[in-house]
Amino acid sequence: MEKLQKKSAELLQNKTVEMIIGYENGCNFNKIRASFISVPEMTNKLIFNEKCTQNLAVYLTKPEIKKMGKIAVVAPIFTMRTILALASENQISDENVLVLGFSQNNELLDFQTLNDVEKYLSQIEFPTLKEKMKLEELEKMTLEEREQFWKKELSKCVKCFACRAACPLCYCLRCAVESNQPQWVEVTSSPLGNFEWHILRAMHLAGRCTGCGNCATACPLNIPLDLLNSKMAKTMKEQFNFISGKSAKQESALSTFNNNDKENFIL
Amino acid sequence: MARIGVFVCHCGENISATVDCKKVAEIISQLKGVVHSVDYKYMCSDPGQTLIKEAIRTKNLTGIVVAACSPRMHEPTFRKACAEAGLNPYLCEMANLREHCSWVHEKNDSTTEKAIDIVRTLVEKVKKNNALQPIRVPITKTALVIGGGIGGIQAALDIANAGHQVILLERSPSIGGHMAQLSETFPTLDCSQCILTPRMVEAAQHPNITLYTFAELESLEGFIGNFKAKIRKKSKSIDEKLCTGCGVCTLKCPNKKIPNEFDANIGFRSAIYVPFPQAVPNKPVIDKENCTYYKTGKCKVCEKVCPTQAIRFDKPDEIVEHHIGAIVIATGFDIKHTDFFPEYGYGLHKDIIDGLQFERLASASGPTLGAIKRLSDGKEPKTVVFIACAGSRDEAKGIEYCSKICCMYTAKHAMLYKHKVHDGIAYVFYMDIRAAGKMYDEFVRRAIEQDKVRYIRGRVSTIYEKNGKLIVKGADTLLNAMPVEIEADMVVLATAGIANKGAEELAQKLHISYDSHKFFAEAHPKLRPVETNTAGIFLAGACQTPKDIPETVAQASGAAAKVCGLFSQNELTREPIIAAVNRNSCVGCFLCQNVCPYQAIEKEAVKNREGKILKNIAKINEGLCQGCGTCVALCRSKSIDIYGYSNDQVFEEVYALLNEF
Repeated sequence: MEKLQKKSAELLQNKTVEMIIGYENGCNFNKIRASFISVPEMTNKLIFNEKCTQNLAVYLTKPEIKKMGKIAVVAPIFTMRTILALASENQISDENVLVLGFSQNNELLDFQTLNDVEKYLSQIEFPTLKEKMKLEELEKMTLEEREQFWKKELSKCVKCFACRAACPLCYCLRCAVESNQPQWVEVTSSPLGNFEWHILRAMHLAGRCTGCGNCATACPLNIPLDLLNSKMAKTMKEQFNFISGKSAKQESALSTFNNNDKENFIL
Repeated sequence: MARIGVFVCHCGENISATVDCKKVAEIISQLKGVVHSVDYKYMCSDPGQTLIKEAIRTKNLTGIVVAACSPRMHEPTFRKACAEAGLNPYLCEMANLREHCSWVHEKNDSTTEKAIDIVRTLVEKVKKNNALQPIRVPITKTALVIGGGIGGIQAALDIANAGHQVILLERSPSIGGHMAQLSETFPTLDCSQCILTPRMVEAAQHPNITLYTFAELESLEGFIGNFKAKIRKKSKSIDEKLCTGCGVCTLKCPNKKIPNEFDANIGFRSAIYVPFPQAVPNKPVIDKENCTYYKTGKCKVCEKVCPTQAIRFDKPDEIVEHHIGAIVIATGFDIKHTDFFPEYGYGLHKDIIDGLQFERLASASGPTLGAIKRLSDGKEPKTVVFIACAGSRDEAKGIEYCSKICCMYTAKHAMLYKHKVHDGIAYVFYMDIRAAGKMYDEFVRRAIEQDKVRYIRGRVSTIYEKNGKLIVKGADTLLNAMPVEIEADMVVLATAGIANKGAEELAQKLHISYDSHKFFAEAHPKLRPVETNTAGIFLAGACQTPKDIPETVAQASGAAAKVCGLFSQNELTREPIIAAVNRNSCVGCFLCQNVCPYQAIEKEAVKNREGKILKNIAKINEGLCQGCGTCVALCRSKSIDIYGYSNDQVFEEVYALLNEF
């Protein structure tokens, strides 16, 4: 923790970065919140522990943050993956992001470029076992059971779009749900509209979601939204041997063609 | 407020036989926004079109739907009528009642209902249509001709003589193609090289033709009128400006035992070589695979003997880029070789040869200087069996088509043999004699009647060797399939003509279609035989299907005429059905760039007044975009749309169908 604070202070002093995005203790001491620090004196607020589960990469694509210049961001492994995915989609680059990575043992890693992040991540295997376990339960169900499961879960949705706000890969300036010429997704919270929205989001994240699970954490009604995305991630792995967030130069699986691609989904 | 006119066509009885057109017009007239709805026997006829024009003028229509045939058939007709009446042509839509409804259904109430549904969707769509203007693109008046055989030479000369620039591309060291290899040509038995070489020289010296030999197409981008071709000029290992073509290097090269491709591998050449004496350009190239210096790092004899120091061992391949307006493909064909035939000894017997090898034997410039000799012992063969349809028209061999030229050249071969070996006997095994063409049948009759070539209708089942003779076993189907056995000294197989090496790869580079035999596909088998489905790319010669010389030349001139027709305009107008980016909402993920099959999406930096880059967004190149819509499907923020087929328009169509009327 001291290492992080010291390095952050240095970065701000040298003007290497304009701001540090990290974690700090919330008012309620049990809660952690995102912290935006732009003066070296404030860096002692920064903390890092296993409770830091918010994916801070979500802020990197915001226009108001992008405007500021280079940003350093505190990144556990799932955030690093997201950062690489964002870089592969031309949203961020070495010019505007410095990664303050943390290893699985909560140790600060020394990264200069996204290339270093890529090298480090290549030694780590993901997705985690935890995700797989959850999916298995769902896959055991019959088609009808699964339909009922999702009907029940998604009927809870109030369309607050917290999932979208928490998701670092939902960076569009104008989301498809907000486009009303034509109106793609029903505005009000209704069973059909809820399905439309969540399936649209799952499809938009296919081959992109890096599995941070922030959508499910953010959901005020505890809908297990990450299950939809991990199912898509699993399909992408099986069909195209594609894992998102592995490299900043990775080409999107859905927009590229390769002769070895399975085509068994074509009826 | 929309004022839509609907015009339901009976198409004689094509539509009205199964669809109640009157009822369709009546019900559609009740739709919101429809102010005019009529039916008529032939909308495409002059009075029909007048009906439309009148209605546009008198009722002040803002859009029309013509419910008739396929838009492929008459959309241009009706759009033109709209334009004449002062309505933007893109405010006219066609509902396909013929192919999509009346032709595929029985006379029935539900058929009429379906017709109403089809018209309904288009009415909703046309309400959302916008006036569009056609796109004008300039034409680069330079043609690229790929392949320097007789087809390519002819096309290049015709285009160049019309005053346009031509780039003639040939992958081997000399132009001339297969025709240069032939000894004599049917049906006149004139010397092939004597009529070809003047054309070769003319092409090489023409001020409008840039000739690239030993060069291949690396890549092609762009579209009709505006292609960009990258050409790889393979290193010839010589300085062409210094080389005088004296030929000392080829004489002194110590490595002389390399099978000569020009002689169909029956003669030999050196590692530095000119393929044949009349080659154009008459300058050698080094065959890097067989050159001792390239293999071992020692030798350099050619460099030592070259009087002008023109040898350049370290010369790299060169890539040149050209802007091209149109392309003629004349890459020719190849033939199956004798190793394709297990029943004829897998090509292991030296005296079973293919047609091209016989051409080289009979050619005065060939390895035997025109004497017919056995390849095994150099003796003159006294009995020669010619087998037509070797591989062709044989489903079991995977070649069900007729190679077309074999009947004629087999008759020619038999004749040439008889002219050279007066006491020899020539047999021809054939399935049918296909000699359709000017003077063709007369030519075959001459072989049979004057030159006493013995024609046997039947196929050869097997050939094997016995005491230095080739035993040819077949059947004579005109004599009740009587078995025939001939002791031959030589067998010539008229092997099937097949697509040239690399045809598939080239087709993929050019984005043109090809058939299951890798022959390039024409746009229409009867009415557009010279064009490919890709606009601006034309075909000439045997790359399309096996052809003889006159046919190839005719098609080459046809392709040249097409190119000249295109080049007679300064600008092309094209449909404005292209994609457009919403610059506000695009976030620049460039997924669209990856997926675009036409490389039509570029990066555009949005800058503020100080010139600082605010964001990078996608930009559509209007010339390249073909309006396929793949980018639209992939764009997550719905920031791309197609003019004329916008999300909004398609949505309205779908909604109209989903909502009960």
